[in-house]
Amino acid sequence: MTIATPSGVTVAELPPTTRISLRIADPAAAGLALPTAIGARSAEGARTALCLGPDEWLIEAPEADRAAVLATVAGIAAPHSAVEVSDREITYALEGPAVLDLLATGCPRDLARMPVGSGARTVFDTAQVVLTRETQVRFHLTVWRSFAPHVRALLDIAGRELAADLDRNWLHG
Amino acid sequence: MLLIRCPYCELELPELEFAYAGEAHIARPADPAGLSDEEWRDFLFIRSNPKGVHFERWRHVNGCARFFNAVRETVGDKFLATYRAGEPRPDVATLKGDAK
Amino acid sequence: MTRYRLPNRGRVDHARPVRFTFDGKSYTGLAGDTLASALLANGVHLMGRSFKYHRPRGPVSTGSDEPNALVGARRGPGRFEPNTRATIQELREGLEATSQNRWPSLAFDIGSVNDHLGSLFSAGFYYKTFMWPRAFWDRVYEPVIRNAAGLGVSPTEPDADTYASRFAHTDVLIVGAGPAGLAAALAAGRSGTAVMLVDENAEPGGALLSEPSVVIDGKPAWDWLATTVAELNALPNVTVMTRTTAIGYYHQNLVGLCQRLTDHLAAPPAGAPRERLWKVRAREVVLAQGALEKPLVFDGNDRPGVMLAGAAQTYLNRYGVRVGDRPAVVTAHDSAWHIAFDLAESGTRPAVIVDVRDTVDPALTDRAHALGIETLLGRTVTGTSGRLRVKSLRVNRMENGAVGAARDIACDAVLMCGGWTPCLHLFSHTQGKIDWDAGIQAYIPGATTEAVRIAGAGRGLWGIAAALEDGAAAGALAARDAGREAEAQPHTVTADRTGSGVTLTELPTDRNPAAAKAFIDFQNDVTAKDIRLAVREGMRSIEHVKRYTTNGMATDQGKMSNVNGLMIAADALGKRAPQVGLTTFRPPYTPTTFGAFAGYRQGATFEAMRKTPIDPWAEAHGAVFEPVALWRRARYFPKPGEDMHAAVARECRATRASLGIFDASTLGKIEVVGPDAVTFLERMYTNPWAKLGVGRCRYGLLLGEDGFIRDDGVIGRLAPDRFHVTTTTGGAARVLNMMEDYLQTEWPDLQVWLTSTTEQWATVALQGPNARKLLEPFVEGLDISAGAFPHMAVAECTVSGLPARLFRVSFTGELGFEVNVPARHGRALWERLWEAGRPYDITPYGTEAMHVMRAEKGYIIVGQDTDGTLTPDDAGLGWAIGKAKPDFVGKRSLTRPDMVAKGRKQLVGLLTDDPSVVLQEGAQIVADPTQPIPMTMLGHVTSAYRSDALGRSIAMAVVADGRARDGETLHVPMPEGVIAVKVVKSTAFHDPENARLSA
Repeated sequence: MTIATPSGVTVAELPPTTRISLRIADPAAAGLALPTAIGARSAEGARTALCLGPDEWLIEAPEADRAAVLATVAGIAAPHSAVEVSDREITYALEGPAVLDLLATGCPRDLARMPVGSGARTVFDTAQVVLTRETQVRFHLTVWRSFAPHVRALLDIAGRELAADLDRNWLHG
Repeated sequence: MLLIRCPYCELELPELEFAYAGEAHIARPADPAGLSDEEWRDFLFIRSNPKGVHFERWRHVNGCARFFNAVRETVGDKFLATYRAGEPRPDVATLKGDAK
Repeated sequence: MTRYRLPNRGRVDHARPVRFTFDGKSYTGLAGDTLASALLANGVHLMGRSFKYHRPRGPVSTGSDEPNALVGARRGPGRFEPNTRATIQELREGLEATSQNRWPSLAFDIGSVNDHLGSLFSAGFYYKTFMWPRAFWDRVYEPVIRNAAGLGVSPTEPDADTYASRFAHTDVLIVGAGPAGLAAALAAGRSGTAVMLVDENAEPGGALLSEPSVVIDGKPAWDWLATTVAELNALPNVTVMTRTTAIGYYHQNLVGLCQRLTDHLAAPPAGAPRERLWKVRAREVVLAQGALEKPLVFDGNDRPGVMLAGAAQTYLNRYGVRVGDRPAVVTAHDSAWHIAFDLAESGTRPAVIVDVRDTVDPALTDRAHALGIETLLGRTVTGTSGRLRVKSLRVNRMENGAVGAARDIACDAVLMCGGWTPCLHLFSHTQGKIDWDAGIQAYIPGATTEAVRIAGAGRGLWGIAAALEDGAAAGALAARDAGREAEAQPHTVTADRTGSGVTLTELPTDRNPAAAKAFIDFQNDVTAKDIRLAVREGMRSIEHVKRYTTNGMATDQGKMSNVNGLMIAADALGKRAPQVGLTTFRPPYTPTTFGAFAGYRQGATFEAMRKTPIDPWAEAHGAVFEPVALWRRARYFPKPGEDMHAAVARECRATRASLGIFDASTLGKIEVVGPDAVTFLERMYTNPWAKLGVGRCRYGLLLGEDGFIRDDGVIGRLAPDRFHVTTTTGGAARVLNMMEDYLQTEWPDLQVWLTSTTEQWATVALQGPNARKLLEPFVEGLDISAGAFPHMAVAECTVSGLPARLFRVSFTGELGFEVNVPARHGRALWERLWEAGRPYDITPYGTEAMHVMRAEKGYIIVGQDTDGTLTPDDAGLGWAIGKAKPDFVGKRSLTRPDMVAKGRKQLVGLLTDDPSVVLQEGAQIVADPTQPIPMTMLGHVTSAYRSDALGRSIAMAVVADGRARDGETLHVPMPEGVIAVKVVKSTAFHDPENARLSA
């Protein structure tokens, strides 16, 4: 098994998106087809809902849908909390064959076992992050805005380390 | 670094995602004003701190954010069980039997 | 070709010479050498001096158990490592190595005078000698000892290298890629399960690298090795990592690995870290670390040229280096005989094989005689000679347990073998049980606490065949436990070299044992007689013997010394070894750099530095920053020529005169939403919330259940079921955690949810008499006139076209607003307000001016003016308690006897008699400065500033019964003299009527 491939991985900051933290005791009452397993994500067009906790969902939608999605959650009749957090965090897209190695420089979870299309809140270095697995080799990492430069700096250092491809320097280099 | 099974996520996950939160099953009295100073002191400060089986609370703070309960054997530093907040204490004898 | 190198032998590349220096002298080795093997090839055995006696020393081993051959290794500025083991450091072009612990030179070392004073330096010497006079310890004894002792010198430059770390998850982790580990990896790897195989050496093979004559599965050992490694590398589920030392074994099969990435490279690639620390979580672990050879303990067993027999075998077979022209072999185990045979067959016939046993397998003696090697059985060794290199060996006949006549045998190397001991270090980290095996007279692993198997010599199974069989079985079982179908493949082995031996204490001698220097711990210069002395002086526990003598406490962690020390201690105590027990091994297995542990946490990525959206503007405008929790905040904005005091005074003056602008984005923000939001806040905060109207704010005070102040902040009601709660900058995460705790575990029935919005909003504070004038034109959809939008109002509106939450609040005592806009727009809003504010002399102020202005108003800062022991009443905040509320967090504690007793420290103001004197925060306060020391201290200063508005210094302090002392003069003793201060019960120094903030 190659630990790190030289082609490595790319890190790109994604443009802003609409994010809503939706909290509700009974997800069925929301009328939004919310997934109920922690880590599961549902999609309806460009809108996604990621279950982060037993009563917590991260709703994401394109900026253009902001008003519509805010109106949708505001229309939930059952007791709930909907708080817009679009500006709270920054999302990076990490992509490439070495993406698991890149994330393993800071995240203690066994991400190889994370199914495509699912996500989780976890940590990277000392920062809390939300990771979603978009494809086998693409993750989105969402981190609070003020921690983003730190996480980005670490990802860049790790990216250079992967590019140096030390693990091919077999005997005597 | 321990592995801890979150009873909400139903996954065994690295300790770095969790925070310890003290002894479990110490409910805040419903009517604090009705307690004597000694009773209130005991609620506030007196903890069991056993060498052996300890019922304790953890929070999956970098995860689903839930507080939950755990049974940990403090000598070998091993979890015997984790369970959701509000659930009754599991039977220790059964847990130890399972562990064997 | 160097004199001691054999052509075409070993695994070194004879076509690739490598130049290096040792103590400034140039040498040439070969690619594949270690520093030690290259120096030995050049005939250099003398590589270091010992710790205490400064005795000349050469390498004893070929691996990480090396106690003697420690050098400094250098690669340009900032790249120097002391105490590098020459047996581990791979040779690279241009390597600069230097010897240590010698002056002026390695061959002539003044410190070796200690060697002649050896009787003074026995066990416990320091404890006994330097006891008095007490004052001498700091000034005389310790500096002298520190100067004379120690090994390498710490580097003085910052480490120029970078380090990495990595988490990994695998089904089966195999530690050690010798025959047992390789067989385990084959068995597990062929099942398809995920396998990591790690080895601390430069290449896999372990003992096979030293024993090429063994035949495995019909192939010469090295051919089998190459085939096996190729198969493992081709398996996609198997990772083989060399130069990777398992340093620690932690709970639930978490194993720490330190991987050396560049130390062996002449020119490391750009961006390459030097080392990488792996944190591997394995479902199953197989420890295949093999066994460690023990030295024999006899007088003079430490001279350069005296080494482990197995080391000589490795130098010969792996590196093609002869360790001498005329070595002598001294052994208590069969294994050394085979080494003598290898040497003889390669053209270096040993002078003698001395075995302490009376009889050995006749096959061994027959073979020795066939090769022309003299054999001496039933002997003891009583000494060696030679100053910088061993010259002769003194051997005595043993007759009926008595030491007989001596004979000197000329030699230039002594190859010793005191038997083998399983390497138990990592197993010991797991608190697994260690058992004594009387059959092989060695400690072996017993009951396990983890999902771990120990294979091969690591559990006392000697020989290649046994290691392969045991390894394959362990690998297959591990794979099965990881959920795979796995088979232990058989291996056939011919020409194996198994054997047996005896375990001894120090060898008997006919000389005065008190004069003998029979070393056990080479690096710490611990001798057999030190151990016996420790027992005589009352040490009974092996842990005490260890600490008293320092046996096993050197950088080799007792790899060579622990069992020998134990056997001698047991003998002195009149007990059997298992009754005495082994000392505990602790991580790390080998010395590990601080860099590896730090990983990426150095330089700019040492820790997260949180910055607000407005931070870049502050940086561009010359702000001086200070850390607040993980944030960096602008402390003040000096103009050219201004110091902090001048800048802060100007910022305060401008704010109170006209308009200040302040970045308050770091304040914690929690959105509390749900039908039970009011009920929740009623229970959490001391204040009443039920009657707070929508669009209004209130100061909130949060206690712990113990009744002490935890946090505070302004809370605004945005809707009947929605509150915007602010917290202190440093308390944000703690407060949210505390609220979640109560909500989830005490009141799960409440329908309310908490969301952190700290970073959703950027917060710009406008403070000063012209704040409204500046802001008014930017605001849409809201009348912010004094009547319509009074102090402590809140509203959602549009500010400069941005969706905003506008608070009318003041932490300065001036008319003030805090504008919250989505974080991405924070800087733009700031810059628009800044431009528009020029007519009002708008002045950015930092946290220092904020602190001064709030102190002028007597507003507390939680954590500065409170310290976790102040109640609301202590802090003068009794008014913040909702008296009618039946309960809130901490309420019950406020009536505990200690909380209502007299004498509690209360927050008050202090005014120095001399208005120009600014008190020191933290300074202690006394009533009578002439009382004898220790004085009765009444309290301490919590905040102190020079106030421009008041034209004098001001201070806040906690003082016992402070409010009752209103007007009293107290004293603050300082090194420069006593400062007299007057107590004022109100801390509201400036505008106590609050006329300005209500404007």
